[in-house]
Amino acid sequence: MTALLVLMHAGTMTAATAPPLPDLARLRRTRLDRLQSEMRRQEVDVAVLLHPPHITYATGFVPEAVDASQLLYHRPVAIVPAEGAPRLHVHEPTGEPNDLDAIIGSALWPELDEGVDALVGAIHAAVGDLDGRRVAVDAITGAMARADVFAGAELHDATRILGPARLCKTEDEIACIEHAQIINERAMEVARRRCVSGARRSEVAGAFLAELRRLGAHHNEIDPIFQVMPRRLADAVTTDKGAVAFPTGIEDPVFAEGDLVWVDAGHGYEGYASDFGRTWIVGRDPDDAEQQAFLEWLHVMDETVAAVRPGATLGDVGRAAIAANGGDPPWLPHFYVAHAVGLDSAEMPMVGSDLGEEFDDGFVLAEGMILVLEPVIWHDGVASYRAEEIVVVTDDGCRMLTGHPGYAPYERPAATGTTP
Amino acid sequence: MNSPTLLQARRDRVLSAMADADLDVLVLGRQDDANFASGMHRLWTAGTRPFGAGCIVVRSTGRTHVLSSWDAGLPATMSPDDLYPSTWNPRVMAGHMSSVPGLAEARRIGVDEVSPSFARAAARIAPDAEVVAADDVMARARRHKSPEEIELIRRACAVAWAGIDAYLDEPGIGVAGVVEAIAAAGVTIPSSAPLIRPLPDHHHLDIGVMVDGYEGGVGDGFVKGTRLDRHDLWKACAPGATHADLAGAAVGDWLVRGLGMGYERPVLSGAIGHHETLEAGMVLSVRDGEQRDVVAVTDAGPQRLSTHP
Repeated sequence: MTALLVLMHAGTMTAATAPPLPDLARLRRTRLDRLQSEMRRQEVDVAVLLHPPHITYATGFVPEAVDASQLLYHRPVAIVPAEGAPRLHVHEPTGEPNDLDAIIGSALWPELDEGVDALVGAIHAAVGDLDGRRVAVDAITGAMARADVFAGAELHDATRILGPARLCKTEDEIACIEHAQIINERAMEVARRRCVSGARRSEVAGAFLAELRRLGAHHNEIDPIFQVMPRRLADAVTTDKGAVAFPTGIEDPVFAEGDLVWVDAGHGYEGYASDFGRTWIVGRDPDDAEQQAFLEWLHVMDETVAAVRPGATLGDVGRAAIAANGGDPPWLPHFYVAHAVGLDSAEMPMVGSDLGEEFDDGFVLAEGMILVLEPVIWHDGVASYRAEEIVVVTDDGCRMLTGHPGYAPYERPAATGTTP
Repeated sequence: MNSPTLLQARRDRVLSAMADADLDVLVLGRQDDANFASGMHRLWTAGTRPFGAGCIVVRSTGRTHVLSSWDAGLPATMSPDDLYPSTWNPRVMAGHMSSVPGLAEARRIGVDEVSPSFARAAARIAPDAEVVAADDVMARARRHKSPEEIELIRRACAVAWAGIDAYLDEPGIGVAGVVEAIAAAGVTIPSSAPLIRPLPDHHHLDIGVMVDGYEGGVGDGFVKGTRLDRHDLWKACAPGATHADLAGAAVGDWLVRGLGMGYERPVLSGAIGHHETLEAGMVLSVRDGEQRDVVAVTDAGPQRLSTHP
């Protein structure tokens, strides 16, 4: 909320154009209801959750965005019965209002052998004996396995419960993603101005991360990517499938004038991920070939967006992208042309992944699903363009959640297509 | 990137811990374990992920295999043949894993986190194998640090100080300015959430960073730019020190835990770690109240790595 106010004061948007804020109490209540109704539908008695997006979905608690090793030891644990209040054990409280009436327990240490007894006690306090019960789990630490914590229970993969519940986003989940994106785009405008000849990647990343903080955001989820792309595939690190390797995320180059920089970053708002993707050119405007690649990208994006509506399959969306690109798939073959975001930065559905055409043709889009479209145009030896846009499936088509800052330094011709 | 000598030494430690635990293969899902065993440099993402086979160590061949579609970030101790490409498709993944030499014949496969779906996949790929928890095997391999690792940790602590110094020079920069100062030192990966807390009579700062895979950090109360440095818990971190020794030396709420390629074992606090004993070669994050130090436990006594550079 703070961040949005900052944006409005900064004059980038007015109250009239700013999207509505999520109703967080309603968000938390709806998620828990969905999760528990999915549990009852699948006849699961209890879910013991260690995966952060699952914990957020069940309880509203958003674990800090820190190194995985830290979070492994200071793991929050949620124990969710099929009916009634969840139980939440945390190391560092976030101060969220407890409007789900969750039972808040003391810190657990499921990573350590010595911590298992307390975990077993917490499960027992929440739901009683597990013997013969159907229990959904998402991770079993070595300590939990050695102590056979789930002995006698029938184990169920928690992803099969959380997955369906998370697929179609509620109004409030969409509002979270949209706000995460607005903040991300705003911080990237600051970073772009710093991405000049002689600047180092880490400086540009630092400008972005610092601006996120100034906007009140503290949940950066990925070391931000500013990767200098070679013009020729022959000069690039390539994948096993012969495409350009991206995002490698390992170099700290000094930028030079004319560098093509593919940018990719994401941070979370209430745990919901944004996904910023753009191509920048260091120190100058695009030349004709670069602008042409961008225009082709716009065409692919417009045509692909036009295929996104309820009832369409993932296969339909993928084919629209391929047709718009003259018959060739316009994406990196180790990825996809689209993925969703939510409490994970890449989640289902995915379009054009190596799950295959049959999978894509069997998956039907429905209202509330999110797609992050990320086509890539590559003219070998000349120019490339990659950017990302987020759409949400509506009752009769889709709506863009991205694009507030445009495509600088590229210029979009006036009044074409559906992208903003 | 870490030196080939260090990478080789780490791999040897993993192989030796595997031999001690009678493991033929280790399948590692955790980023820090995979990084420790392989040295493959990859994109950092925050938070934990569901278990997936990110790295496979085979004892019979002595090879480390890593999930990657490209060889950017490949250390000198690995060959491009040691990579298996990423995929969204579990069947394709099973195929990639089957082609790792030595995996199909494995009798005992260790995993650093247990996942029912991996156990099912393993039953097809290595039908004779028993899948066992091996987080403790990796913890043993990571327990003692070499002098080179200690220097990397000291260097990471110095980067944390770059953020603290920038704040002490100009507290108005806030957490944003601290993040930017650390980035100016070339580092954009935090180990813990930066803590910048202006209080009525002092400032409480605690910064943790990851530099070339190793963690560094420091925390304390500061008055007029000077570190308070009031507590002596770190001085109790000598070889042989027990939970009772540390509890007796601590003044406030305390936490002593392993520090290396991130957060490691042992973990001791008021609530946990009652049976742990400190050993020479450990490096620890030692927090007592607001004060946090990084300390190497040596035969000559505790050595602070988090002093101002």
